[in-house]
Amino acid sequence: MRTVVCVKQVPDTTEVKVDPQTGTLIRAGVPSILNPYDHFAVEWALKLKARHGGEVTVLTMGPPQAKAVLQLALALGCDRAMLLSDRAFAGSDTWATSYALARAVKKIGKFDLILCGQQAIDGDTAQVGPGVAQSLHIPQITFCDSIEVEGRKAKVQRHIDDGYEIVEAKLPVLCTMSLPHAHPLPWPSFPKVAQARSKVLEVWTAADIGAEPEKIGLKGSPTQVHKVYPPPLRAKGTVFTGSASEMASKLLDILRQENFIKP
Amino acid sequence: MPGLDAISRGLMFDSLKQYAKRRIPYDLLRELDRKNEFPADILKEMYDTDILGIHLLLIPSEYGGLGGNTFDITRVCEALAHIDLGIATSVFATFLGSDPIRVGGTEEQKRHWMGRIAKEALLVAYGATEPDAGSDLVALTTRATHVVKNGKIVGYRITGNKQWISNGGVADVITILAAAPGGPSWFLVEKTAEGFSANHHEDKYGIRLSNTAGLALDDVYVPADHLIGGVEGQGLLQAQAVFGYTRLMVAAFGLGAGWEALETAIRYSQQRIQAGGPLSKKQGYMLKLIVPNAVKLEAARAYIEETAHRLDGDEHGLQTEGAIAKLSATEAGNKTAEDAIQALGGYGYTKDFPVEKIKRDVKITCIYEGTSEIMEMTIQRGRWQEHLKSRGQYYEGQAAEMDRLQAECPSVGAGSAALALRALNQVLEQVRLQRLTRHQHVSMRLGELIAQAETAAAFARAAAQPHYSESVRFDAEAWQAMSRVYAREAALDLCLKGTKLILGAGPLPEGFVQALGLDAALAAQAGSLEDQDLIARKLTEVFKSR
Ligand SMILES: Cc1cc2nc3c(=O)[nH]c(=O)nc-3n(C[C@H](O)[C@H](O)[C@H](O)COP(=O)(O)OP(=O)(O)OC[C@H]3O[C@@H](n4cnc5c(N)ncnc54)[C@H](O)[C@@H]3O)c2cc1C
Ligand SMILES: Cc1cc2nc3c(=O)[nH]c(=O)nc-3n(C[C@H](O)[C@H](O)[C@H](O)COP(=O)(O)OP(=O)(O)OC[C@H]3O[C@@H](n4cnc5c(N)ncnc54)[C@H](O)[C@@H]3O)c2cc1C
Repeated sequence: MRTVVCVKQVPDTTEVKVDPQTGTLIRAGVPSILNPYDHFAVEWALKLKARHGGEVTVLTMGPPQAKAVLQLALALGCDRAMLLSDRAFAGSDTWATSYALARAVKKIGKFDLILCGQQAIDGDTAQVGPGVAQSLHIPQITFCDSIEVEGRKAKVQRHIDDGYEIVEAKLPVLCTMSLPHAHPLPWPSFPKVAQARSKVLEVWTAADIGAEPEKIGLKGSPTQVHKVYPPPLRAKGTVFTGSASEMASKLLDILRQENFIKP
Repeated sequence: MPGLDAISRGLMFDSLKQYAKRRIPYDLLRELDRKNEFPADILKEMYDTDILGIHLLLIPSEYGGLGGNTFDITRVCEALAHIDLGIATSVFATFLGSDPIRVGGTEEQKRHWMGRIAKEALLVAYGATEPDAGSDLVALTTRATHVVKNGKIVGYRITGNKQWISNGGVADVITILAAAPGGPSWFLVEKTAEGFSANHHEDKYGIRLSNTAGLALDDVYVPADHLIGGVEGQGLLQAQAVFGYTRLMVAAFGLGAGWEALETAIRYSQQRIQAGGPLSKKQGYMLKLIVPNAVKLEAARAYIEETAHRLDGDEHGLQTEGAIAKLSATEAGNKTAEDAIQALGGYGYTKDFPVEKIKRDVKITCIYEGTSEIMEMTIQRGRWQEHLKSRGQYYEGQAAEMDRLQAECPSVGAGSAALALRALNQVLEQVRLQRLTRHQHVSMRLGELIAQAETAAAFARAAAQPHYSESVRFDAEAWQAMSRVYAREAALDLCLKGTKLILGAGPLPEGFVQALGLDAALAAQAGSLEDQDLIARKLTEVFKSR
């Protein structure tokens, strides 16, 4: 199995505050981390490698500092890493990012599986994974919790609003991974971190991946962000009052209405 | 020594923090503290190379370790202290226990023992202190006698008692300082050795989960190759040789524990509403309980890191610097934890918040690896020699360096640091003329003043750098303000406390106060309040309430 994992370095949003005036993120002094969904994707790629053998390549587009998330992926067990770094990529929107990542995947060579996170916790568009699949003309399965590979087929559990569904696709396929609640992500030991320093980490420019200059960076980005604002809060929950048995029967009524339990 | 790169160091510490978050939550620490219990399983996991393998950091790469340098080690010590000082102490004891081998061992011993510590994840302990030999190790009574066969020394028999040995009851190997016929020497003793036994886990004030135990050695036999370095009489030199380095580690403990307490207080102050607003908006509260501690801790950080980088360059020993770092950082950490309790009021006095535990824990950093008083004596002794040798040029030279820095970068308080150093020079000279070092009190207080003046200079140097160390969480505006506040205080303290010392012991010569620069030190106080307000604001920005 040859797997490529696309990862992004993001600010640790648990430490980020939104500027109330401008609505933009205050990033100064905030530590960078591996996007948690991508961290989960790396975990899955390595799990599948342990079962089926093969090689895992990890790929990111970002500034030179993004090397840190690649080193983490290598320390966790990925085999090699590619950093797309070039001033020409600056200002890329999700469209241009997807194009560049797809070009890089082509340069990496044959692959069976591409894993992405479902979304980046800073940009949050959830568009890049699907964009890469589209650029490569391969099927995509989004919001995946787990993946089984049998022969040339992937059987995937993806979550939907009121449950989950099992989807099958022929390889090669791109899956975007979600992250189960309170899932403990893996972290490398000290010696694993040190050993990762001798693994292959290549830095590729726009020219290296044969990207057309008008398709990347600001020039290649049709999206313009007009305003960033926090979404309106969801409606408040309902508070029951009354005796314990009254409250319990109200709750049961609702659970029945919403089909969570049989009438 | 090159050590690790910044990315690897960052990733290792992330793994450590994540491990601690998952496996060592405050509730568990609180329980271990209450039960006075050593968490053997946690230490085992921390040494497990598939989980963390933290002990590998101190082992050179040629013996299967990761070859961390002094800077790496101080950083990991600070990170450990943020988690828990008892756990930090247990890890540290392995570092400390293997140091005699690292600095004094033969090549063969290094390969054998370092290799075993790396591979078998051995817990090590450092056995120097005895019931009657604490600060004064020369009073050591543990004896090692020769075992001779065919006219050749084939081994030693060791008899004596050790006291308050960290990991004493749980270590696999203990390095023991004993008086051999040729003088004090280090021996490697395995816990399985016949005649070796450890006493109970001491019931302590703080770091209660750390195993501290007395050891009894009753005619314990060790083969001759267990004498570290293979030559008798090197023990105290070998112990001295690592003090610069090991005291930096304890200094980093003071820093980490102090910041953990202070961060708790800063976050708390933003949530606690009293008299119509959060405590973080009360100037008197912030400038009394929070800001001065942040300033002292960051000053100590600058000194620790400067010394670490010097040791990683080609300088050796630096015992006086190690002592200054330890005194500044551990006393700052201890005071900070004390103030953090106050800052949380009644809540701080309960076990629901971690600050009272940090206060109990951090106190040990002022005691082990040389007490604060021993640090003061060491500092005074070391710098007194420099002052005499240089005929008063030692601190004048440093003051001149601060003058140049002030011209280049006027915002870091280098001018005030120069005032402090020149005042120190005047005081030392007066002490020499009146031969006041015959009073131990004068010598020890001088030790403290020397540490303060030198720390001010180190802070100014660090704050003037275009890029700060990865450990600094403040921007230049905040860090430079801290450096100014520290230097101003040092300038005035050196003048006033220095004068007080001399006046207390003898006459104050004509013109002394003028020569001291008191007027300039007073003038330097301008702008102090504004700087402290700025620091208060920055602290609440960096440590937002969660
Ligand atoms: C402050 C800010 C300003 C921005 N301004 C603009 C703008 O003006 N115009 C505009 O069009 N866009 C803008 N963006 C969006 C930016 O282009 C996106 O961050 C980027 O294209 C990825 O989209 P996303 O973060 O929404 O990722 P998502 O689509 O949510 O990411 C899904 C997955 O795709 C993969 N992935 C995403 N990015 C990368 C990457 N760089 N390398 C490797 N894998 C990756 C990861 O697996 C990730 O989990 C801005 C973003 C931020 C945070
Ligand atoms: C929890 C804990 C863990 C420890 N771990 C270890 C370990 O792993 N290995 C090890 O070898 N030791 C260890 N120690 C011992 C520690 O290093 C000593 O306690 C310390 O050096 C002080 O020695 P002492 O307790 O005998 O105090 P003393 O030397 O008796 O000092 C008592 C007081 O007198 C002051 N004083 C001492 N001498 C003078 C002097 N000449 N002039 C003026 N004042 C003086 C001291 O500063 C102190 O305030 C540990 C101690 C504790 C409490």
